[in-house]
Amino acid sequence: MSDSAAGTLPEERSGSLLRKVAWHWRYDEKRELWIGWWTLVVFYNLYGLLFFVITRTQPPPQPSLSPAEIAQWFADRHHGLLYGYAIVSIVGGATAVMNATLAYSMRRMSVSRAFAYSYLVIYALATLPGMLIMGVVCSVGAMRPDRDPALMSWLYDFAFLSFEGTMGVFLIGSLVWMAAVLLDENRVFPKWFGYLNLCNALTEVVVAPAWIFQDGVFAWDGEIAWWINMGVFVTYTTVFLTLLRRLILREDFGTGPLPELSQ
Amino acid sequence: MTTAAKAQHRFVPGQPDMWAFVLFEALVFTAYFVVYVVCRTRSLDLFLQSQAHLDLRVGVFHTLVLLASSWFVARCVQAARERSFRAALTNAYLTMLFGFVFLVSKVLEWAAKLDEGFGFTTDEFFSFYYFLTAIHFLHLLIGFVALGIAVHQLWSPARRSQELVETCATYWHTIDFLWVLIFALLYVMR
Repeated sequence: MSDSAAGTLPEERSGSLLRKVAWHWRYDEKRELWIGWWTLVVFYNLYGLLFFVITRTQPPPQPSLSPAEIAQWFADRHHGLLYGYAIVSIVGGATAVMNATLAYSMRRMSVSRAFAYSYLVIYALATLPGMLIMGVVCSVGAMRPDRDPALMSWLYDFAFLSFEGTMGVFLIGSLVWMAAVLLDENRVFPKWFGYLNLCNALTEVVVAPAWIFQDGVFAWDGEIAWWINMGVFVTYTTVFLTLLRRLILREDFGTGPLPELSQ
Repeated sequence: MTTAAKAQHRFVPGQPDMWAFVLFEALVFTAYFVVYVVCRTRSLDLFLQSQAHLDLRVGVFHTLVLLASSWFVARCVQAARERSFRAALTNAYLTMLFGFVFLVSKVLEWAAKLDEGFGFTTDEFFSFYYFLTAIHFLHLLIGFVALGIAVHQLWSPARRSQELVETCATYWHTIDFLWVLIFALLYVMR
């Protein structure tokens, strides 16, 4: 039997951050949930750093670049793409822990387990086109800069259309989460978060024209298909990370309504 | 606090959570509208020429139909507050009917425009026309789910949550509000 179960849980150590972390690692019964939550926070920050700063694949470049410009685009990012996506391939597996944490929120609700399972499967699928395929294809382009520009164009289109292709997955994932939140009677999340999921789902639909347009606001780099959508997604992500943190703080490992945090 | 006292203390009709949705959707659509206006300013002649191919009378008809549906959903809420559930159900069905008329009429308008050779990729104005009307159409389809929930609540004495009925009505009014703005931008603004 653990110390916690025996009722002899030692007091949380005061002192250095390291001591606090060590205490939580050893005694905190919510340890796995906090690991999952911190994985989410670290991963999303790392994702931003890798995609926006190191590989510079986001914000996305214009779809209408000529083959010569595309070859130059790969040449300009040669090291960033190779090093960046090497890191992506190492940390990509963290999505399993992240998805498990998100699915946990649905398992804690009063709704059917089918919601959590659907969410797990659909987001496991999203990792492939949205991150790994795009990473591999961009790395293939960067690896041999002397390749025929026509082939570089092919890789460029493949990489960015693969990335765009995850939007339908996020659409369904958001709707699953929305339905779970609105049907839940355990008050795991506020109802407005359910409606925010609907907002996010609807902006994912708006990405679909990116498959048709190579220029303008509906192209994959356009104001509507990318910028507004990204603004909503960042807001949505910030909100659900905050609410997940509150869920972990409120978690009592029961099956009924979650208690509110004391003031 | 009793249910009646809670009702008196409410700041808005229905769940306040739905109003968060209204606010967020208003912000997202405002962003779409700003992009539209910027593009329109850049290519004013093209937008005016293409806009001339839309029939203002059809736009007015759509607006009146949706305003009527909003009026019926408001009457539905009022009847439910007065515990006249039969009248509330009738008004909910009339809301659905007018929503359906809008949907059919919008599909007919799209079909007519496609027949005339104006598609999604014809020019920038028609890209916006199809985009804004289609995303609104999608919101309206979800509105039918909301009305279905309201009818489900009104149907049985065992349910009849006034808060849910008002929440669904709020969603429906939002669709109407968004349409009025889309109508003004696409059909009226010269």
